[in-house]
Amino acid sequence: MVGADDITTPAGVAPDRLFKYWLIVPAIFLLLLVGLFPLIYSLIVSFQNITMMEVDTSFAGFVNYAQLFKDARLWEALLHTGLITIIALPLELVLGLLMAQLFLERMPGRQIFVSLLVLPTVIAPIVAGATWRLMFDHRYGPINQIIGWLAGEPTTLLWNVNPNLVYPAIFICEVWQWTPFMFLILLAALSNVDKSLTEAAEIDGAGYWRTFFKIVLPSIWPVMAIAILIRGLDLARIFDVIWALTRGGPGTMTETISIYTYVQGFQQFETSYTAAIAFLVIAMLTIIVVWAIRRMGLAK
Amino acid sequence: MRLINTVAWVGAVAGLAMSWASAAMAESAAEIAVREAQKYKGQTITIVWEAGLQALDPLNFSGPKWEELTGIKVKVVEVATAEMFTKIMQDYRSGAGAYDALNVIPSWMPDLANAGALEPLDAYVEKYGYEAELQTIAPTYRDNQMKVGDTIYSLPDDGDVFVMYYRKDIFGDPKLQAEFKEKAGRDLAVPKTWAEFSEVGQFLTEKLAPNTYGAAFFRQPPYTMFMFQERFRTEGGKFFDAESMKATINSDVGVKVLTEMREENKFMPPGVEQFGFVENLAAFLSGQTAMTISWPPYGRWAAGYGTDEEVLSWVPKSTIAGKVGYALPPGGHPELAAGFTLSVSSTSKNKDAAYLFIQWLNSEEISMQRVQLPYALRDPFRDSHFVSPEYMAKWPDAKEYLAVLGEGAKTGLLDLSLLQTDKYEEVLRQMISKLWAGDDPKAIADAAAAEWDSITERIGVDKQKAVYQAWAAKSGAYPQ
Repeated sequence: MVGADDITTPAGVAPDRLFKYWLIVPAIFLLLLVGLFPLIYSLIVSFQNITMMEVDTSFAGFVNYAQLFKDARLWEALLHTGLITIIALPLELVLGLLMAQLFLERMPGRQIFVSLLVLPTVIAPIVAGATWRLMFDHRYGPINQIIGWLAGEPTTLLWNVNPNLVYPAIFICEVWQWTPFMFLILLAALSNVDKSLTEAAEIDGAGYWRTFFKIVLPSIWPVMAIAILIRGLDLARIFDVIWALTRGGPGTMTETISIYTYVQGFQQFETSYTAAIAFLVIAMLTIIVVWAIRRMGLAK
Repeated sequence: MRLINTVAWVGAVAGLAMSWASAAMAESAAEIAVREAQKYKGQTITIVWEAGLQALDPLNFSGPKWEELTGIKVKVVEVATAEMFTKIMQDYRSGAGAYDALNVIPSWMPDLANAGALEPLDAYVEKYGYEAELQTIAPTYRDNQMKVGDTIYSLPDDGDVFVMYYRKDIFGDPKLQAEFKEKAGRDLAVPKTWAEFSEVGQFLTEKLAPNTYGAAFFRQPPYTMFMFQERFRTEGGKFFDAESMKATINSDVGVKVLTEMREENKFMPPGVEQFGFVENLAAFLSGQTAMTISWPPYGRWAAGYGTDEEVLSWVPKSTIAGKVGYALPPGGHPELAAGFTLSVSSTSKNKDAAYLFIQWLNSEEISMQRVQLPYALRDPFRDSHFVSPEYMAKWPDAKEYLAVLGEGAKTGLLDLSLLQTDKYEEVLRQMISKLWAGDDPKAIADAAAAEWDSITERIGVDKQKAVYQAWAAKSGAYPQ
């Protein structure tokens, strides 16, 4: 008779130790299938020449990657994305922080106000964009109506056409929708700041700003950094709001990298070139995120 | 002599009887389609149709009727126009065979046919006796929107053409006539050239705004792209140098057209740059504009035809019924903008059933009913449609309306159709968008031409040149 303890694998490993690995095999397989396989397949496609008209799967070398450097529209799209990110992100952060400070103190109806303020974030961005498009409509939208009342004469501001107004329109929509996200996260972070520290600083004569920068900000920084990272990545792939508001126009003035990638991939069917764009974006974002994580001290 | 007379009489009676019998026995294309399709009773065919009003034809009328006649169910897949090409190509590339029959915009045909997504139809046309009825489709559509090379890939099924609509009461106003004559030295009349259009539009705005403006057009880039194509050619422009295949949309004509288009916005309602199909329709039907150019449904709805249908409740009530005149746009060569043809998917598993359905839809008998559906958007495209007494009786001015559509079908200009047409059209859309944003017309025309050249080089100059030359040789490519 053979006891359970006597059963070993040929390598001498007890079966119960192997069993736990077998349990996670399906999960790993699934992750590789949905995560790694598309990535590798896209990489392969980026070295081929697959377009709407041709499915040429032979090795095409670095043709698509070389094209990236000649494609002015691509770099403009990256520039627009960067511009939107560096303007919208600080705006959302500062406004979110101010609102969080405001709601930190107990006040009547606080919970109701917080719930109402968070509503924009639960709306799908494409719906938010479409809604703001109507708000900005020159004939029926309330924005022009209100400006007209204030100006004392009918106003026809073409928010989706006028080059001076398209970016403000995008920022208004973006900040309206995502400031509450910053607000909610920062409110939670601020609520957890140790009050005894701020009170001690106050007793020691530290002013509001000194207390904020020396005690509050370091306390909430890990959470704030995560919020900045999440929103930064969201803004780097911004699509829906701009698609609904301007479709990247006028011309290509508000075309972001996500919109350009979509146009190339799903309207122009430049499949291999789109894969090359995707890898360029992945590479750039990886560098930025790694740098940001180190800089923000999140890697510790 | 009597014998000869008797023989002649018997012969005549026999001849009459035979011709009566053969006439009684001759089946129409619709009848043949129904008879043959009954062999496929119980099957389901799937057809891609433009979402919205267009799809009400197969959903409410032709689909149920076909099922009743043949026992074949019709499944309608509604797809937004902007996504139809993508969906068709995706289905073809994946080999899924999800679609049996297709609605295809004619300018897509070279791409779809060359890719292999469309089933050649010559054999089906012959097998199911459709040659004769194909010949009664108006020549512009029949000769230009049916074949790629010498092969039939589609049945032209929609007479989309731009028509100028104008207010007869305004143009007939004696006071305005006198004032215009004094100012311009000629009679106030519907403009026949773009210079006249500008002059008349400006005059009417000066006299009637803000209640009524001289004109408005849809100015959103996807629509204006068609208007640019038409106007550029009626003013003498050519898209390419036929030898070098270099783009010539930045020629003096191109710059002139762009400059004039932006200038005209000044006498149109404020914000016209954002007018789409519906905004422009609303402005015209509410009496806010004296002239506009659009597809044929505007004319029907302006007359109030069909607008009491629930599905058309979104169409603003016409305040100008009975006051609308119809004419060809300035230049006299209207764009045959977009339009639809019917095809069979090459990956269909029910090709015969799918073909028989589109033959039946497209036939004299059924198409005559379909173009008169008040809620659908199929426009007259057969010779018989333009002279149909039944259609002419739909509203008091329907005869004039049909006459202008018929005229447009003779002089109309085809949309540019090349390999990867959408890439060229996308450049035009961007160009228009930049024009409204205030960029310099010459600079944007030069940039557009450079982008066209770049696209042509990527596709292959010789390859594209062959397709362009075949397109340019068609009767509707450039004004004759």
